[in-house]
Amino acid sequence: MAHHVTSHDIPVNGEHLDKSKIAKVKTIALAIMVLGGLLSMYLLFLAPAKQQGEFAYSWVFALFYFFTLALGGCFWTLLHNVSNSGWGTSVRRVMENVGSVFPWLSIFALPLACPQVQKYLFEWMKVHRDVIEHHHIGTGTLVIEWLSGAGNWVMNGFRYLTTGNTVPQGSAISEGLHHSNHLLFSKQWFMNLPFWYVRLALIFICLGYAINRLRKLSTAQDTDENPGTSNLFKARRASAAFLPILALTVTFAAYDWLIALDYTWFSTMYGVYIFAGSAINSMAVIIITVTLLRRAGYMKHVVTPEHFHIMGKLLFAFTVFWAYVTFSQFFLIWYANITEETKYFLIRNTGNWNIASIALVIMHFVLPFVVLLQQWLKKRPVLLSCVAAYMLLVHILDLYLIVIPERGISLGKIKPEVFGDISISIPGAWMGDILAFVTIGAGFLFFLLRALGQHALYPHRDPRILESANLSN
Amino acid sequence: MSTTRKKVYGYLAEFKSASALYKAAEKVRDAGFSKWDCYSPYPIHGLDAAMGLKRSILPYMVFCGGMTGTTIAFLLAYTTQVVIYPTVVQSKPANFFTIPAFFPIMFELTILLSGFTTLFGLLALMKLPRLNHPLFASKQFERSTDDGFFIALEARDPKFSAQGTKDFLGEIGGASIELIEEEPA
Repeated sequence: MAHHVTSHDIPVNGEHLDKSKIAKVKTIALAIMVLGGLLSMYLLFLAPAKQQGEFAYSWVFALFYFFTLALGGCFWTLLHNVSNSGWGTSVRRVMENVGSVFPWLSIFALPLACPQVQKYLFEWMKVHRDVIEHHHIGTGTLVIEWLSGAGNWVMNGFRYLTTGNTVPQGSAISEGLHHSNHLLFSKQWFMNLPFWYVRLALIFICLGYAINRLRKLSTAQDTDENPGTSNLFKARRASAAFLPILALTVTFAAYDWLIALDYTWFSTMYGVYIFAGSAINSMAVIIITVTLLRRAGYMKHVVTPEHFHIMGKLLFAFTVFWAYVTFSQFFLIWYANITEETKYFLIRNTGNWNIASIALVIMHFVLPFVVLLQQWLKKRPVLLSCVAAYMLLVHILDLYLIVIPERGISLGKIKPEVFGDISISIPGAWMGDILAFVTIGAGFLFFLLRALGQHALYPHRDPRILESANLSN
Repeated sequence: MSTTRKKVYGYLAEFKSASALYKAAEKVRDAGFSKWDCYSPYPIHGLDAAMGLKRSILPYMVFCGGMTGTTIAFLLAYTTQVVIYPTVVQSKPANFFTIPAFFPIMFELTILLSGFTTLFGLLALMKLPRLNHPLFASKQFERSTDDGFFIALEARDPKFSAQGTKDFLGEIGGASIELIEEEPA
């Protein structure tokens, strides 16, 4: 057992990251983000239709990868606060910093709001817009219908609670959909353009507000002359309220951006599946960040192998949880064998995707399960970081398999004359995937480094910091 | 009056607090004793390291138990549903690729046998159940389930000596040092 940490070991003003040390990496990340961003804008909006369509999928894949990482940062912060944890006080600031990237990702989500990009990604939006165009529905009519539709939606809630019945909203769009696409007519209460935009905005506004508020409560402790527990209690109460928001955020994001790539498919397990992957991989980011900070000479007194042991256990736990959820989804669909459900897995087991699907089972579950079972390994920061980096790599495969197999099929359906017939993959499109990944990845790194440099690296005036520093489990 | 000579189990010493017990345990460990144990009303974090305990072999037993469960479940499901009585349900194949249907069984039996191995392996490693323990002869030892912290050094330890061990326990802060004798069999 290491030496007992007392308040003498903790600097009065906390440990701050030496900004000159990260300045170079930060500048490079910013440059890559800007250059890649410009190139991406060209590919998304100005390039020939073929590149536009292909790159739109690359963008969703890369965006969602880093979206899950930042979202997981928010999750760990909320969980740490709401469970009144003492162990992680010394790494809590890192969780908050990973989470604080979340609102910034809205920049990268902006292209999703443009009809130019949407027409390649979301077929249902195309159907809606075709109906509007075909029936010559004017803007004024649209606005009135959307408003009265929203009113009807609320009223239906009351009607359902009181009488058990709902009244459908009769509108020009419903009428059009009713005749052209009955599935979308039935799903119109959820899948309609204004509601989609509202959800897109709320995803970033609500959780962005939550993580900013928690981070402010935490950093306010650093300069507090009389550090007490009041901010801890405030954070705990706030986190309890924010947790349902987090659940809705991850579910809506998964449904609106991923499932909606094919509006005919559905799975109630999907939100949990995305959440499980996000919890594993944000923990991986936290582990790697803390290891690098310790190697650079920070947090030496407050983070011990015991912290890495706990973080490794959480990584392990969520690896098992991911496998459980993923298999549940596959298993129920495989057993029930309903055509509209099985298509998701049929696509991902056709051609070479089959190899990737099976590789995912072994690489995302079997290998890390056996490796992370070892206790000694979880107590070694560098080894655990290697496993964490590996998990981040297989998470790429996971999300790639979620988004990319859809590309050749959707694009072939939309415009066969441009994209070729429906196929399981489009040759050469992978270059766009790398570009989008590097661009948004550089953005993620930039905002993470920026957040790390802003405040002390751990809450040095938190009443529980010594409890955390002397952790033993 | 019996003249049977009783066998010495060892010395029992009481310590004031959990931290006193912890510090004493470190000293006993450093003195090189191997047959001894700490007794406390509640688990003390880090005491295993202070006592110099090695990792238990239980995890390896549980791993083997779990793997046995997986194998048995697979063989059971495969033999009954593929070899003996192939059942085609919802156009699912009746061959090795029916394996997703076996997963819940494999999962459950893995958990079951892991649980069994944990419980019974633990009991076996602790040599439980047993009817009596020599320390139960001590009146003060009853407090080990309430507010007492004890260390018992056994006589079968090669470092044990009648006077030396008693002095040693006194030096490291032990009070109410008591010689424990085994009940005649």
